[in-house]
Amino acid sequence: MKRYLFLSRKNFKALVEALLRDYSVIGTIDKEGFPAFGEIHTFNELRLSTTPTHLSAKEFLFPPREVLLKLDIEDGTHEPVLEARPQVLIGLHSCDIHAMGLMDRVFSYGTPDPNYLKRREQTVVIGTECLPDAFCFCSSLGKMTVEEGFDLFLHEVKGGFLARMGSRKGAALLRKYTSTREASPGETRELLRFREEKERLFTACINASPERLPEVYSKSDSSPVWDQIGSICYGCGSCNHVCPTCYCFDVKDEVSSDLKGGERVRTWDGCTLEDFAKVAGGHNFRSMRAKRLRHRFNRKFNYLSERFDALFCVGCGRCSRTCLVEINISKVTNRLIKEYDERARKKSDDGKDQEKDP
Amino acid sequence: MTGKIRKKTPEGSPYLPVASTVEEVVPLTARERLFRLRLPLGGGGGGGVAAYGPGQFFMAGLPGYGEAPFSVASPWGGEGSLDLCIRAVGNLTNAIHRLEAGDTLWVRGPFGRGFAVEEMERSDVIFIAGGIGMVPLRSLVKTVLERRKSFGRLTLLYGSKTPEEILFKDEMPEWEKKGLDVRLTVDSPTPGWKGGVGVVTTLVPGAISDPPNTAVVITGPPVMYRFVIFAMKDIPVPAGRVYLSLERRMKCGLGKCGHCQINHLYACQEGPVFTLDELSGLTEAFS
Repeated sequence: MKRYLFLSRKNFKALVEALLRDYSVIGTIDKEGFPAFGEIHTFNELRLSTTPTHLSAKEFLFPPREVLLKLDIEDGTHEPVLEARPQVLIGLHSCDIHAMGLMDRVFSYGTPDPNYLKRREQTVVIGTECLPDAFCFCSSLGKMTVEEGFDLFLHEVKGGFLARMGSRKGAALLRKYTSTREASPGETRELLRFREEKERLFTACINASPERLPEVYSKSDSSPVWDQIGSICYGCGSCNHVCPTCYCFDVKDEVSSDLKGGERVRTWDGCTLEDFAKVAGGHNFRSMRAKRLRHRFNRKFNYLSERFDALFCVGCGRCSRTCLVEINISKVTNRLIKEYDERARKKSDDGKDQEKDP
Repeated sequence: MTGKIRKKTPEGSPYLPVASTVEEVVPLTARERLFRLRLPLGGGGGGGVAAYGPGQFFMAGLPGYGEAPFSVASPWGGEGSLDLCIRAVGNLTNAIHRLEAGDTLWVRGPFGRGFAVEEMERSDVIFIAGGIGMVPLRSLVKTVLERRKSFGRLTLLYGSKTPEEILFKDEMPEWEKKGLDVRLTVDSPTPGWKGGVGVVTTLVPGAISDPPNTAVVITGPPVMYRFVIFAMKDIPVPAGRVYLSLERRMKCGLGKCGHCQINHLYACQEGPVFTLDELSGLTEAFS
């Protein structure tokens, strides 16, 4: 049995207010009627949201624009830059925490990326409970719950929260900044009941077990679905933008107006954008939108799965929710699963026919 | 508490380049120049550069102009020299072309997996290059010729658009003297041209006499690969002994930025040199 501590609403407020004194606090806020992650300065700005934010929280670990080197163009020299500050992220859902774990693997893989890792090191993660909307399908990818990657996880119950501690740091925060008591059996039961009900609320799902998806995708390169969605895709990169596990970046130099200095910056890039795979001399390895979409979907379900031992889709549904032409990642995946299964059935039927008809 | 941004120097940012000194600039063609660089030796965290091999690449750049990947054009000599052959096509490469002896070019690397020279030993080796693909091949050819006796027949098939665009033409008599059979072809001959005319694929069928005992190395522009592989379809060289160096956009060299991905492979990590075997069935390899 996991250990839960009861944190009253009043004590939660005390915790956040204490954190505000020592950290930059990023939480879910109300942005023109929608939940979004943003820096808060008072407890009242925090609006814990059960629905997913439009943008993921990745920007607080992997900013859209980040300085890697400071350049002195007159001297012709470079100086490394590392920007990090102690921060707390409040309001990440299970999918967001799973996504962060994947980003951690990407940036520690091979040559570690100090810019990301330094920021990650100084980040406290407080997760909160959520409810699915029409696009969420984390449940069928096994990401509805999360067991690691957070410092605290708060489940809303009557009168407050049940807090789960994911790290020593999380436990220490509770001790240092607020007071809790052991959760009662009734409260724990309430949480388990909630989970069962939550599971039933999902309307979107993937119609195959997650382990099958790399295989399904690896055999779907010539599916007609790519040309179909490629013909309506704007190539706008919104899906890359909102995805919590899209980490591709560009690196370029920006020169100051006096031409004496500048910065080597990395900025978010997206594999669905036209120039992403274009090389000097003009050849574009993925000039067609269909190929770029196929690449992106495969990155989520196939290409990276072996290297990082995980799917790179966490089922948050953000790409589908934001797509202007309603390309839906769970529906596309289900279509590929259906095609795959039909091919397998046909193959097995053909085999039987041959047995009958020697 | 906000705005508390801590700035401190990380120990060894992988994005921090080291200074190399331009020792000599050799104009090769109207568009390509060879830059002879002197590298700080040392490797690892010591601010120097480790040994490189043929087929590997460096990120080279200038502050204000950014960085781009360039194949090594020289064999590793152990003394910290590096040749990069650079075609002026954009802002960065044009800025590099303005460098003179004594200037600094900033480099990071070496990156990637190069040619498996040991696997080619005791075999015939056919080098097939198109255009600027001759650059990574020069490093390999010179490496192989240094140990000429370890290899069987060595043949270079090299296709260029015009005779003027042939790279390293001045060095070829020496390569021939050391035992490399050089066969050149151009798309558009000029008066006095004595080599072949036509694309490089026309030279392929006649060049491979003992396919099971041959290693084939292919380097060229993206469009060339499909045609060369097609030209070899009836020649039984094992797919694991056909080596290709694939060009891709690259921004980091560290397996992070995502630009060089070919299906599940990263050109900067598992490549840029792959065997045909490794690329078999990969829809993004030759697109």
